[in-house]
Amino acid sequence: MEDLAEAAINAGLDAGASFVDIRIENTVTTILEMTDGVTKRSMASRLKGAGIRAFVDGAWAFAQNTDLTLDGMREVGTSVAKLAIATREKVSEKFEIEGPVFTAKEKMVVKKPFQDVSIDDKISFVKQIDKQAREYDERVVNTRTVYGDLWTELFVVNSLGTSIYHENYLPRIISVVTAREGNNRQRGFLSIGAQGGFEEMEKERPQNLGTEASKLAIDLLSSKAAEGGVYDVVMDPILNGVMVHEAFGHAAEADNWPAHATVLEDKVGECVGPDNLNLSDDPTMPRERGSFSYDWEGTKTRKRHLVKGGILTELLHSLETASRLDMEPNGAARAQSFMYPPLPRMSNTFMEPGDWDKDELIVDTKNGILLCGFNYGYTEPAKGQFMFQANYGYMIQNGEIGQMVRDVSLAGQILEVLPKIDAIANDFELDSGTCGKGGQGVPDMTGGPHARIIQVPVGGM
Amino acid sequence: MKEQILDIADNAVKLATKFGADQAEAYTSFTRSFSIEVENNAIKSATEKRDGGCGIRAVVGKKIGFAYVTTLEENDIKEAVEQAVALANASVADPDFVSLPSYEGSYPSVEGLFDKDVKDLTSEEAADIVVRGVDSTLENIKNIKVATEALLTSNSGVRAIANSLGISQASESTLIFMYSAPAIKTDDDQTTSYEFQISRRLDEIDPEYIGYKAAQNVLGNLGGKSIEGGELPVIFAPLAASGIIGFGFGGAVNAEEVQYGRSYISDAFGDQIAGEVLEITDEGLLTAGISSRPFDAEGYPSQRTEIIGSGVLKNLLHNSYTANKDKVDNTGNASRPGYSGLPSISPSNFVVTPGNGSLDDLVDEVGRGIVCLNTGDRPNMTTGDLSAMVMEGHYFENGEIKHPVKSTLIGINMRDVLKRVTLVGSDVKATFSIISPSIAIDSAKITSG
Repeated sequence: MEDLAEAAINAGLDAGASFVDIRIENTVTTILEMTDGVTKRSMASRLKGAGIRAFVDGAWAFAQNTDLTLDGMREVGTSVAKLAIATREKVSEKFEIEGPVFTAKEKMVVKKPFQDVSIDDKISFVKQIDKQAREYDERVVNTRTVYGDLWTELFVVNSLGTSIYHENYLPRIISVVTAREGNNRQRGFLSIGAQGGFEEMEKERPQNLGTEASKLAIDLLSSKAAEGGVYDVVMDPILNGVMVHEAFGHAAEADNWPAHATVLEDKVGECVGPDNLNLSDDPTMPRERGSFSYDWEGTKTRKRHLVKGGILTELLHSLETASRLDMEPNGAARAQSFMYPPLPRMSNTFMEPGDWDKDELIVDTKNGILLCGFNYGYTEPAKGQFMFQANYGYMIQNGEIGQMVRDVSLAGQILEVLPKIDAIANDFELDSGTCGKGGQGVPDMTGGPHARIIQVPVGGM
Repeated sequence: MKEQILDIADNAVKLATKFGADQAEAYTSFTRSFSIEVENNAIKSATEKRDGGCGIRAVVGKKIGFAYVTTLEENDIKEAVEQAVALANASVADPDFVSLPSYEGSYPSVEGLFDKDVKDLTSEEAADIVVRGVDSTLENIKNIKVATEALLTSNSGVRAIANSLGISQASESTLIFMYSAPAIKTDDDQTTSYEFQISRRLDEIDPEYIGYKAAQNVLGNLGGKSIEGGELPVIFAPLAASGIIGFGFGGAVNAEEVQYGRSYISDAFGDQIAGEVLEITDEGLLTAGISSRPFDAEGYPSQRTEIIGSGVLKNLLHNSYTANKDKVDNTGNASRPGYSGLPSISPSNFVVTPGNGSLDDLVDEVGRGIVCLNTGDRPNMTTGDLSAMVMEGHYFENGEIKHPVKSTLIGINMRDVLKRVTLVGSDVKATFSIISPSIAIDSAKITSG
């Protein structure tokens, strides 16, 4: 692969680009999906190709190529450089791409590589989870189980001299259960993702995920729609993670700075929350779904302390944003596949634990709502507005957990919500997800401890 | 190009039968897409993609396997075919599977899906169009700090579908999309907005209009306030209707979701589910429609299907699997994410029949309430519960827009959204998921703070 990369890079430089980089990817995935005990999707794929970027005077061009021959690579290297040159006169700012050089070749060692596990064994696992979910309760009317595994080898080379080869193994299991009682229909959705081989799916929780999802759907049958209003909200670790991700993490992605598209623009080094608030993004955590040792530009990653003691201290950088903002690159550039250019993204994002006992936190909440789990969320960093929806929750009255409620949404402003965090518990949990930005989905983890936000608008029916 | 892509599909089908599949289907496509991205009022990047690939569905008895590859190389396709057959052999039989579709009649023709000007668009021309849009946004925002993002993307592609029951079809189409999204900042406020157009034809993209309208929209968003909550009427502008009706209702009439009991309208077939003024059809053959096509993603002919007439739920959307299972006619609504996925079901052009009046007329008639211009939210498809943030919207009183709203949520069940539709405007706009005017409902729970 070295010679293919070199051919494209040299062609791009020869055509007049000042910086060229390339990602050559070979990815094999399996997805097995079962509904009500029947196979709905048995799917295998191979993604094979290269994504090439050329840069000159502040203008970027990107092209993808699946013709992995020397001639094919030379041709696309030349054409992508020409595309960058064609738009160089219309850029707002001239700058150069600089950055540290890394070279490494890292194989990932896992106990059970996916290619060594037979399709039959993988299908048995899916059958088991789907059966558990169906047999949990007679009110379960539909079950859906999805197993996915992805092995990828990625080769990143750039014209500064970086050359990184690494691998990744990501398994995932999802259980979705619909339960019904009369006209009342409820859905339980749970997923577990990790980094590692098939052995990650043989642990206790993934082996019982169908039961857990069914229990959630059945419990939701006796939930009520929450009354909309302004509440003191206690977030569980999963929802807290979503809050950190949506209400803060996206706004800390450094490509928002040159774009003037974040409310945090003037806040670097400033106070954005209480002094016991610490928010981190850490791709170096062992065996997590959002972990990687080098990013998609070949930069070595490290833990990012986005907020430390309530102060915004660090952003999520690509080579471009670090060059333009004159900050240290920290390996946050990610791409969904070779078909997309890398963008600054989160990895494993969380609130660091505090010192409250979580039970005491509930007891201390007079009239509020405990929000748990997560349906979805999104944010508009330029406006500072975010929204996310909990899967379920419980009313809290006089420090006691009461009626279960469902589909509760929370909306707010980034700069207004963090200062309203008044208590952070000492527990910690991460949940697996997929984050979308610019049409690209990447695997990530979000989480933290239980934490309380006071007086926020909560939408109900 | 069309013949070549179709040949590859035909050959993959033959290979799958040779490897032991009882039935087989291949979906091949080749797309060239081109995009220019603007950031902070100037060009940031240009992208050119050539994406070709092949997806194979192999059937052994009632067991199905699928594999795809991101190239059109013979050896890669052979590997995918082998895998699809192997996966079919390892799967659990689906008793409800009857057969892949077959069709021997003539196919409808749909005009206006291909525009040579889009196919031939150069990077310089594309850059010029998007810059004109951005300039128009900047000209219409005076004395305020502004950073505009914009994007122009054009696609031109061929897709082919072949199966072992004789389906063998290919079609060529183009699509062009452009938006301008200014962010403005004053001493005490910061806000954004957005305007877009999407079309099959280059000459229907008007960058000056997009730029002008984006500027109007963002200026109108300054000074957002929260309001006193309660039960209030809501008017969904076309973009908000796109999310709530297009995705939120379009996804509920998916026959597969209904068959599994996962849709909030599962028991409502033939019932009065909506206000009498609401009429929705799925129009697969609309001239130049964004989602028009002569045949669906399984190669079955497209058609027009009435969904809601006088408020009554008339039909569901089917692909070959769900139609066979219910023993009803296939409505030709198989959809898939290109070569990389199995068919599911989605609307083609989901069309809300226009009524009377502009958005201003609806505001005047309703009197007091919220205009929701845009929301990113979707209902819970099983319960129908919807809790939607007003991403952009206004509060109105005495028939006049008073101010934008912030941190405001609309809470309502989808069944009530449909039932409470009282007015349908005539301000039709095409979005990715719907062709709809503004729609007013008489009440929803509003929370703001």
